[in-house]
Amino acid sequence: MSEVSLPSRWATLSRWPPGLGLAALTAVAGLGLGSLGALLWQARELHPAMLWQEPWLAAVLRFTLWQATLSTLLAVGLAVPVAVALARRPRFPGRALLLRAMELSLVLPTLIGLFGLVAVHGRRGWAAPLWEWLVGAESGYLYGLSGIVLAHVFYNLPLSARLMLQALETAPAAHWRLASQLGLTRAALWRTLEWPRLAPLLPRLAALVFTLCFTSFAIVMTLGGGPRSSTLEVALYQALKFDHDLALAALLALTQLVICLSLWLLALSRGGAPSLVVGSAALPAGGRWHRRDAVGASRLTDAVWLTALAALLLPPLLAVVLAGLTGLPELPRSASLWPAAARSLVMALGAGAGALSLAVALLVGSRWLRTRQHAWSALLMEGGGQLILVIPSLVLGTGLFLLLRPTLGSGWQGYGLVVLVNAFMALPFAMQVVRGALPGLSAPELRLADQFGIRGRARLRWLIWPRLRRPLALALAYAMTLSLGDFSVIALFGSPSAPTLPMLLYQQLGGYRWQGAAATALVLLMLVVLVFMLLGWLTRRPPRYPWTRYAREERHARVS
Amino acid sequence: MRYLVALVLGLATSGAASAAERTLTVYTYDSFVSEWGPGPGIEAAFEERCGDCDLRFVALDGGVDILQRLRLEGEGTGADLVLGLDMNLMAEARELDLLAPHRVDTAPLALPIDWADDTFLPYDWGHFAFVYDSEQLSEPPGSFRELLEAPDDVKVILQDPRTSVTGQGLLLWIRHVYGDEAPAVWARLNERVLTVTNGWSQAYFSLFMNGEAPLVLSYATSPAYHMAVEETDRYQAAEFEEGHYLQVETAAMLANTEQPELARDFLAFMLTPDFQRHIPLGNVMNPAIDLGDALPEVFERLIQPRSLTFTPEEVRENRRAWIREWLNASVR
Repeated sequence: MSEVSLPSRWATLSRWPPGLGLAALTAVAGLGLGSLGALLWQARELHPAMLWQEPWLAAVLRFTLWQATLSTLLAVGLAVPVAVALARRPRFPGRALLLRAMELSLVLPTLIGLFGLVAVHGRRGWAAPLWEWLVGAESGYLYGLSGIVLAHVFYNLPLSARLMLQALETAPAAHWRLASQLGLTRAALWRTLEWPRLAPLLPRLAALVFTLCFTSFAIVMTLGGGPRSSTLEVALYQALKFDHDLALAALLALTQLVICLSLWLLALSRGGAPSLVVGSAALPAGGRWHRRDAVGASRLTDAVWLTALAALLLPPLLAVVLAGLTGLPELPRSASLWPAAARSLVMALGAGAGALSLAVALLVGSRWLRTRQHAWSALLMEGGGQLILVIPSLVLGTGLFLLLRPTLGSGWQGYGLVVLVNAFMALPFAMQVVRGALPGLSAPELRLADQFGIRGRARLRWLIWPRLRRPLALALAYAMTLSLGDFSVIALFGSPSAPTLPMLLYQQLGGYRWQGAAATALVLLMLVVLVFMLLGWLTRRPPRYPWTRYAREERHARVS
Repeated sequence: MRYLVALVLGLATSGAASAAERTLTVYTYDSFVSEWGPGPGIEAAFEERCGDCDLRFVALDGGVDILQRLRLEGEGTGADLVLGLDMNLMAEARELDLLAPHRVDTAPLALPIDWADDTFLPYDWGHFAFVYDSEQLSEPPGSFRELLEAPDDVKVILQDPRTSVTGQGLLLWIRHVYGDEAPAVWARLNERVLTVTNGWSQAYFSLFMNGEAPLVLSYATSPAYHMAVEETDRYQAAEFEEGHYLQVETAAMLANTEQPELARDFLAFMLTPDFQRHIPLGNVMNPAIDLGDALPEVFERLIQPRSLTFTPEEVRENRRAWIREWLNASVR
């Protein structure tokens, strides 16, 4: 009996992925295109000719493309040797600290990040004497293109390296065992194990970093040195806020959308084929085996790369922590700090859970489509997830406002909307993290599972979940902390006098409370660390399997 | 867990006001309502005065956002009153046809200029100014001319007029002093500029307080906070002989508010010492009335420059052209 009913039940279950994916896509596209549409509808008349009639707009576009390309090349390019070095050195003092710092830098609110960068690299920064000694001129490299690129590398290299490391660590233990037994050289390891892991990741990662740099606003303006280095979003800000020129705003948003989305589609179609070799992600296997390339000259080069990473990351974070420590005596006096922290955490949890569900739905849906040869629909579904990232939050906010007008803006609705938009904004990051782990079962494993009748919930519970829990936790941590540090969205809708942590920070600055603001920044930083540590710790131990090939493999790995 | 539930419920119900009270909803900006801003003190004082009312602040990002929100909401706006539109936004706000006359006696006003507007009522004012770090710069420039001719290492941090109120203040200031010569002055000033940030917080906090440049575009009242609360004379405003551009912040009531009486009560309350004494150190601006002895001592040590202003209509008509002028002069 059960043999008859099971396949049919599995058949109904397998209808879930496209449905879920479609629902998620509808939500994302509805929100993004809906708000843009609302703007267009209100604007009525569009004059696309404005784009090339304004000479400075063309200049801004050129500059934006240039700095984003440069930042992406450096951030992603330099992340490769860093990730490889980290994978090759699974144990060294401070590795855990370095990983934590890498997770921190992406989610650091720009205002805090800029403070740290200026304290270290500014004209009066810690690095200034060193620079003067080396170059003999006053250190001014933080202002201008070099500063913008430095800040973008500071923000995006750690993310790239972290995701690459995750991909490298999913190489199956058996492969490393084999590589170790064969005594593969550096070049051979790169060709057979490392590059095949990284290659499918690179196009998407580059597209993500490019989008982030393209839409970067505060960094480009603060470090740019003047309106010569500007971004489309400044023009958009002016059009929307000062001039109330909805048509120009919509036009600029469309320009950004077209550029970034076409890049995404290109990236997705290039990096499309998921890696053929699928290992068990639960085992960070790389370092357990003796690697021939881990001795000799590579000791030196790895040390150089890791020191460079530490030198890039740690000093600015340290500057923020030190400033925060001097503000600690102010903490007890700030009555709204802890309620704000609690409010931020609750909202971050909501946004993180939302982002994660959407990410899984979209990825499962696009995978379902891809296995049925609907390559373009699959692309569209995955690309749709990135939509919110390329729509300026100002447009998103204004558009949503126009859409929901009569009922919006008071009390909890405002908070609800912020959670929702934050979930959508964290979606691309969550997808990036989960995607690497999602390919799931390989064809032979699938056949085996089918033969044993491991289907439906059992397959999910025993075969898929164990591989997914760590990436899911990492994705949740990224999504939560991104929303924890977000200010742009919450500023859009306005709020009653109950602030979130980043709002509190801005309020303190607006009221000249530097010390208090520094302490708030420190608390925010601690919360981010806590979220990553807690989620990492909860999924640290591999789950207990029944007596399956997984358990055996794991035992082998432990014994040797 | 129980705490979480309580918190979520708290968030959910915080929007609902009790029906028995008269509620006055005020759109204002972020730093006004913060814990240490003037908002909480003013709210308590006003609610005590009226007895059965509830003053509810809705905090937006800045003055421009208040205007933007009014535009988007139109007749259906949830605001009874807006507080935080400065003189440069008045013309645009008036055009929306949503505001009503304040009918408050403006005799107590003590502004550096005469005030005759019947819709917008000032509650504080201040001059834009360059604040300098006396440990880096012993002799601050005494005029724009001196600033332009300063030695090469005297750098200044500005804000973008497209995204910040202070940035726009400098735009109007230079235009007022130099008229059609302004583009040439911008081109020369650019040699002094370290960077142009998007907002005041970035410029003041991330850069100036980190010692990146000896001068930053801010308010003439900024040193008051450093002197009164941090007890340091290190940061002072440079007084320019050409005069300083004036910012006056105002409030206005909505025409179709359901609480016209309460709104007018609030506007009248604005010009009393109970409201105004929260302004000097709460908002770090000059009070709109003469506070007498209640004015903190440090305010008497601030510079008292000559005031420059354009009318709100002049600003509205020329803003776009002047911004483009600045842009073209700076991009070159």
